[in-house]
Parts: sequence; C-alpha cells; structure tokens
Amino acid sequence: MPPAGLDNLKHIVVLMMENRSFDHMLGGLMKQNPKINGLTGQESNPDTNGTKVFVQPNAKFQGQLDHDPDHHFPGVDLQIFGTTQQGAGRVANMQGFIKSYATQDTSTDQSHGIMAYFTPNQLPVLTRLATEYAVFNGWFSSIPGPTICNRAFAHYGTSFGNVDMNLFYVQDPIVSIYERMIQGGHTAKIYYYDQQSSTMEIVNLLKNQPQVFGSYSQFVADCNGNTLPDYCFIEPCYNDHPGPGGGQILASDQHPDHNVKEGERLIANTYNAIRTNPQLWETTALLVVYDEHGGIYDHVVPPNCDPNFPDGHTATADKTGTGVAFNFDRLGIRVPAILISPYIPRGTVIPGTEDPNGLVFEHACIPGTVTSFFLQNYDNRTAREKNSKNFLTPLTDTLRPDDDCWVFDL
Amino acid sequence: MKKKYKLVQKVPKTPKSAYNHGRFISSLIEHQIKHFHEVEKSLAKAGEPVTDISKIKTELHASRYLQKMTARLHPQGAEKPKKAAKPKKASVAAKRKPKAKAKTGKRKRK
Repeated sequence: MPPAGLDNLKHIVVLMMENRSFDHMLGGLMKQNPKINGLTGQESNPDTNGTKVFVQPNAKFQGQLDHDPDHHFPGVDLQIFGTTQQGAGRVANMQGFIKSYATQDTSTDQSHGIMAYFTPNQLPVLTRLATEYAVFNGWFSSIPGPTICNRAFAHYGTSFGNVDMNLFYVQDPIVSIYERMIQGGHTAKIYYYDQQSSTMEIVNLLKNQPQVFGSYSQFVADCNGNTLPDYCFIEPCYNDHPGPGGGQILASDQHPDHNVKEGERLIANTYNAIRTNPQLWETTALLVVYDEHGGIYDHVVPPNCDPNFPDGHTATADKTGTGVAFNFDRLGIRVPAILISPYIPRGTVIPGTEDPNGLVFEHACIPGTVTSFFLQNYDNRTAREKNSKNFLTPLTDTLRPDDDCWVFDL
Repeated sequence: MKKKYKLVQKVPKTPKSAYNHGRFISSLIEHQIKHFHEVEKSLAKAGEPVTDISKIKTELHASRYLQKMTARLHPQGAEKPKKAAKPKKASVAAKRKPKAKAKTGKRKRK
C-alpha cells in the first residue's frame, strides 16, 4: 500500500526558478539545522591574487552580481576543477568560482561576491518552506552548463546532446512530459508568466503544441476553480516590463541581477494559490527547484552519473568549448530544491552525497517521477530518466492539521 | 485573506527601485529572442520581412518582441488590460479640467 500522501495525490506542480546555488540560498540554514548540508563558514576559494576568500553572509538582493556570472560549460568546468587544464588526474575541488568570475572584467572585490550567501532571515519564504517541508541536500542541475539544456532535462529527461543554449532538437523521437501525459489521457500544462515574458526554452513546443500552455494568471484561476491539470510546470517572469493597463511587472526569476525579493513573492504566491484551497492543498505536491547555479559558489562536488543508465548522447569537443567531449557522465552544480505537501513532516531533510545512504536527484527526476506516478510503464525515454530517483518519497501517511501549515501574507 | 490562518508569514515587498526595463538583456534573454526569431523566420511567407532582432537591446525591447511572437503562437495567453481606476473626485476634476482623461491606475500586479 502506498502512503496516504501518495494515495491522495492528484496534482504535481513544479516551479523552476533561475540561477542560484544551494549554498547561496540555503547554505546559511546549516547553523539552525545541522542535517542541512550547507556552510560552516570555513569554505573558501582563492582569488586572482591567491588570497583565500571565505564564504560570507553578505549576499545582496540586487546589484552584487550585475556582471551575470559565467555559467556556460567551460566556465562551470573551471568552477568545479579550479583549472582550465583538461585531462586525467585533475580533481573536482570547487575552487574555481572566483577565478571564473574574475575573467568577466570584475574588480577583485566584485569577484569575491560570488562567495556571498543569504542569511535565512533575508529569505523568509524559501527558509520557511525549506524548514517546514522537505529540503533536498543532493539535488543537482543535470549538466554543468547553462539554462536551456538544464531546463530541457526537466521537460524531456534529456537535452538531446546539448550543453549550451541551443534549442533545436525537434527531430528526436523522445517527446516532452506534457505530450506523454496528454497521450496517456491525463492533463498537463506549462504556465508561462505572461506574453511579455513568455516561455524560455520550449519555443518548439509552443509552436507545435500551444494547447499545453497557459499564463500564470490562468494558473491562479485554475487553482481557485479546481481545474488544475494533473501535472503543471510554472515559469517565472524573466524580464521587467510594463503591465497591462499600466503598472510595472518585475522579473521574478531571481536570475542575476533581478531582485531576489520578487522571486520570493512569486514562490509565496504560488504556494498560497495551492495552500488556501483545502481541496487542492491535500491533493497536491509542489516542487520548488532552480534550473542551475548561475555561476555562484556551492561547496558540494557534483557526482558522476551512473554509467549503467546513460543519457545516450555525447557533446562533441567543439560544442563543449573545453576542447574535450562530454558524455553526460557528470552532473552540474547543486541547486535548491524543496518539496511541499501537508503529508510531509516538518523539518524533513533528504540526505545527499554527504551521507553514504544519501540520494542524488537531478532534473531528469522531474519527468521521471511524473511519468512513473501517472503513466507507470512508459518506455520511450532515456535509461537515465528511467533510473532517476522519485522525488515524491518524502510524502508519508500522516496529514498535518491545517493549523500546522503556514500561509504567506503578501 | 478571507479565512483566518493560525500561522502567517509576512513577505516583504520588493522596492520600486528594483524595476528597470531599460536593463540590457542577459545572455539568457538574448537566446530566448534568437529562438523566437527562428520561429518567426520559419513562419514568414516568401518576401515577408522579419524583425531585426539586432535592435533588441533592453528588457523592454525584448518584452515587446516576445509579446508579439507569443501572441501569434498562443493568443489564448493574452492578458486583459485592467480597468482604469476611477478618480475619487471625478466631478470636481471634470469641472477643473473638462478635457482631462482619467489616469490609468498604477498598481503592481501580484
């Protein structure tokens, strides 16, 4: 018998934010809860003068990372290995973050900003959710690279051999999780914020499958009207622009250098839309996750992928930009990931690589879990996705009382 | 909130100064524009002009182009403009400035 939390589950909602590492957003929580694999304060990187620079709780909501930190494949390779030299024998040591940022015309002081992290009280929404529900110590981006290829893993379980911002992989037989769901008699939707922000990486899907899309205001209406699809994926607002009939719409993706507070408000609003509908609250699991680390420091070395369950693609040396091909055998840098449901006990921490029995998650787990839950035996996907960990395991038999679950006042 | 909840967390507002639609676009938005441009080219009839995306420099420029393209691909996603806020003392204002139009309410969404 599955636990009641799974037995009652009808909707899975994923909200994917942009470009912040685990330690940057949640690393400060380790002082409150030692089970959270965050920062001790002793983690450091050398700067370009060789000076050891320690992590500092001085992250700013905006203005600190206005040179968008490099997070393309060669830049992330430098961040992980601390050197641009390739070849056997080099060791992943997470010592190249300042070196990488210093290549972007930043001053020495600016380059140190890549080691900054937020204190828990600066991020009341993310902190509240991480401490009230389940936080994953070991959720990694799927590729040590940028947004588009990482988001592709969340939609398709693979990036079809891409490690960059390329999008055009429509020839591949693997279909998106949305198309799978609809073909299987279920409902699924991608909610982009609005037309001015639009969708990020799935223009092909927008062109060919427009029926799977909706706007964020439609998401809120669907929550209020009990018409939420079985599975949905929410995209934040990616740019600042005028609102309809006046006003100002702020980017809420938290991509540097957009204001982090507005992303907090989007997360809170999304949570509230589910939380304040009792029918939805007890039947929905909400995953808040970031697509990649955005070039910002994290101390955990990304693990290798299981060679028994390959992605099946290779990025050639000219595509990676490092001079060496990539076989999709290493994950990207760790990102924040929080699973929310009233069936999750307060303070749940899912151990990661710091624990010999820990679990490693990545974005292929999103279509992997959704497919397994709603469609069960579905074969047309990569071995890597099929073998990915199920992120719904924190759901238990016990429903927390309504008075035991928080609501945000926006 | 209609219902009273026991555990309520206040969320700070984002400062108005955070807004800057004149901000230069990031590499991410630049690629988003390129992807939409490929779609635009694929949909264009022979001889039909397409957008010169080299002129898209700021987030405002980007948002206008994205709206145009998204409306074409997904017209169902259009937001209805909010109704203009009613002036509190419309009759007085009308006497003072008979030709003045009511200003649109500047409320931040969400």
